[in-house]
Amino acid sequence: MPSPFRAITATALIAWSILAFMRPAQADALADIKRNGVITMGVFEDFPPFSSVGTDMSLRGYDVDFANAVAKSLGVKARLVPVTGQNRIPALQSRKVDILLSVGHSAEREKVIDFTAAYAPYYIAVLGPRSLKVGGAADLAGKTVAVNRGTLEDSSLTEAAPPTTDIRRFDNYNGVISAFLAGQVQLITVGNDVGSAVLARRPALEPEQKFQLLSSPDHVALNKNEPALRQALDDIIGGLKADGTLNRLSMQWLLKPLDPKDL
Amino acid sequence: MEFTLWDILRNLLLAARWTALLSAMAFCSGGLSGLLLLALRMGGSPAVRRLATAFIEVFQGTPLLMQLFLVYFGLPLLGLDVPPWLAALLGLTLAASAYLAEIWRGCVEAVPLGQWEAAAAMGLHRFRQAQLVILPQALRIAVPPTVGFLVQLVKSTALTSIIGFDELLKTSNVINNATFAPFTVYGLVALIYFALCYPLTMASRTLERRLALATR
Amino acid sequence: MPAGGVLEAYVVPILHGISTTLLLIALTVLLGGTLSILGAAARRSATSWVRGGAGWYVELFRNTPFIVQLFFVYFGLPSLGLRLDPFAAAVFAMTLNFTAYGTEMVRAGLDAVPPGQRDAGRALGLHDFTVFGRVVLPQALRSVFPALVSQVVITMLESAVVSQIALRDLTYEADLIQSRTFRAFETYAVATGIYLGLSLVLRRAVGRAGGRLLGQGLG
Repeated sequence: MPSPFRAITATALIAWSILAFMRPAQADALADIKRNGVITMGVFEDFPPFSSVGTDMSLRGYDVDFANAVAKSLGVKARLVPVTGQNRIPALQSRKVDILLSVGHSAEREKVIDFTAAYAPYYIAVLGPRSLKVGGAADLAGKTVAVNRGTLEDSSLTEAAPPTTDIRRFDNYNGVISAFLAGQVQLITVGNDVGSAVLARRPALEPEQKFQLLSSPDHVALNKNEPALRQALDDIIGGLKADGTLNRLSMQWLLKPLDPKDL
Repeated sequence: MEFTLWDILRNLLLAARWTALLSAMAFCSGGLSGLLLLALRMGGSPAVRRLATAFIEVFQGTPLLMQLFLVYFGLPLLGLDVPPWLAALLGLTLAASAYLAEIWRGCVEAVPLGQWEAAAAMGLHRFRQAQLVILPQALRIAVPPTVGFLVQLVKSTALTSIIGFDELLKTSNVINNATFAPFTVYGLVALIYFALCYPLTMASRTLERRLALATR
Repeated sequence: MPAGGVLEAYVVPILHGISTTLLLIALTVLLGGTLSILGAAARRSATSWVRGGAGWYVELFRNTPFIVQLFFVYFGLPSLGLRLDPFAAAVFAMTLNFTAYGTEMVRAGLDAVPPGQRDAGRALGLHDFTVFGRVVLPQALRSVFPALVSQVVITMLESAVVSQIALRDLTYEADLIQSRTFRAFETYAVATGIYLGLSLVLRRAVGRAGGRLLGQGLG
């Protein structure tokens, strides 16, 4: 090969390796967070009333206020990273984020990630228009139901629904909610608070909660083998519960007082 | 908290900056690596040529969405921390280099073989032949299809929304979920993409016509 | 892993996804191919508004991303009363998109056929339709056939985004497996390999079908 080509090849190879920002996996997430002065948290951005955008495109909701309270207790800044149901566990595992908010507990997930104590109530419910008769999971047969893929809504619906249910899985809550509002699916499976926040906007559809699939309070999720971070987060959640902060968030965003039984 | 039409449009236009920036960056880095790929494809040893050809065929024969997924989910397995914007840029760069190398190869091959022979007869080294004789001619032919490819690239950036880069389409999804007005939101988004792409399409066509006249 | 093992958990869904992807592209080629010929005729029409309308249609669809067209059809059109299920919406959007490119290609092919060919056909006393269908069109398609085949492959690859409206194509099934196994890279690597195989097979199959339809001598 003529030498100028070799020079080009070498230059390009060096350029590529500079592009590859080498960063080894962290050893102690809590220490890193304190050292960087920032905690990176994965949140949904299409998930009212927990987190959705305002007219200035900034996130607002229960999770956002909770995230700021956690960061304040740790003495660091909060950085919110939008995630989807599909990419958030890989994002946590690949340490794109330090923790995830709004994660329901499941045995399947327990194998790959850790959970803190619960910090928010969450009921997974099936919602649909008043005119559609649905009393329980058996009535889902032959109906179209939208759900956010890879979430706990997805796994609990998949388990409960009869085989003839047409489950349509979307990448994010936007797809789920838009498909329902556009009349593309008959029912949706979301948290009941999410459902009521959304459906309040479309009273013409007369949507209502059909039945509850399960109660699955929201936890903070973190990577395995991070005992220091887990202990710190559990202490903070205990503190926010004791000093009434979580109750205040519940009143503001979920429009009802926090019932300790729900956590 | 209600979004007015102006709120929607304003936020979409702000997000379109990221679409434009990502397109421009991917075009530059894709162009550079495309040149390298072209050099390997045309001037390397037989094994290198085969490798470069395989690279091009793989990237032209698989969906960009899959390429983005592999970069986004694959690099962390190697211990590399890639944020969505970098994964988006890397994925688009790789794809763009494959397409541009192939477009430019066509342009180089469009230069008559006699030109290489004439340059060789002047005693020029093969690299000099390419640099002084072939490339200036190929470059003229290459401009219109390259600008045309830029249109494809701008449109491709929409897929980076799926791996979470906050460009135009991602922002429109988020706004759609706060306004529940998909007809308006996606209609506006289509118009903004059109406003970005149509001038490029026109430019490519004008350049092509001018070239056709000049070479007649 | 669910009961039934690897076959039921991975192989069956993937095969189902492949068949959906292939069905989508087959319908798109049939519908879009036909419409492209009509579109090309419209682009060459003597009536200026037909010519202009077809021109704007081509520009609009070639200068916006396919995924935006798809979202507009699936999420947006219901507010105008047109509600298509994911499959119909995908075929609709893919056909409109393919037709925009196909129209320009077929038109370029028609422009390249020497006018003498049409005159010769007429001189033989053939009807205008017969001249177009039997003499001009085959020559036009033959000259742009490689470009059309490439566009078919590109359209098939772009169809990966129909997973975003919950249509169970190959990408959707890969997404689903990925969300169950938490092994994103491996899953998408397999899916990517399958797409590569599909594009090779598709290129060959369309080439062969075109050869049979248009006669030998295709590049």
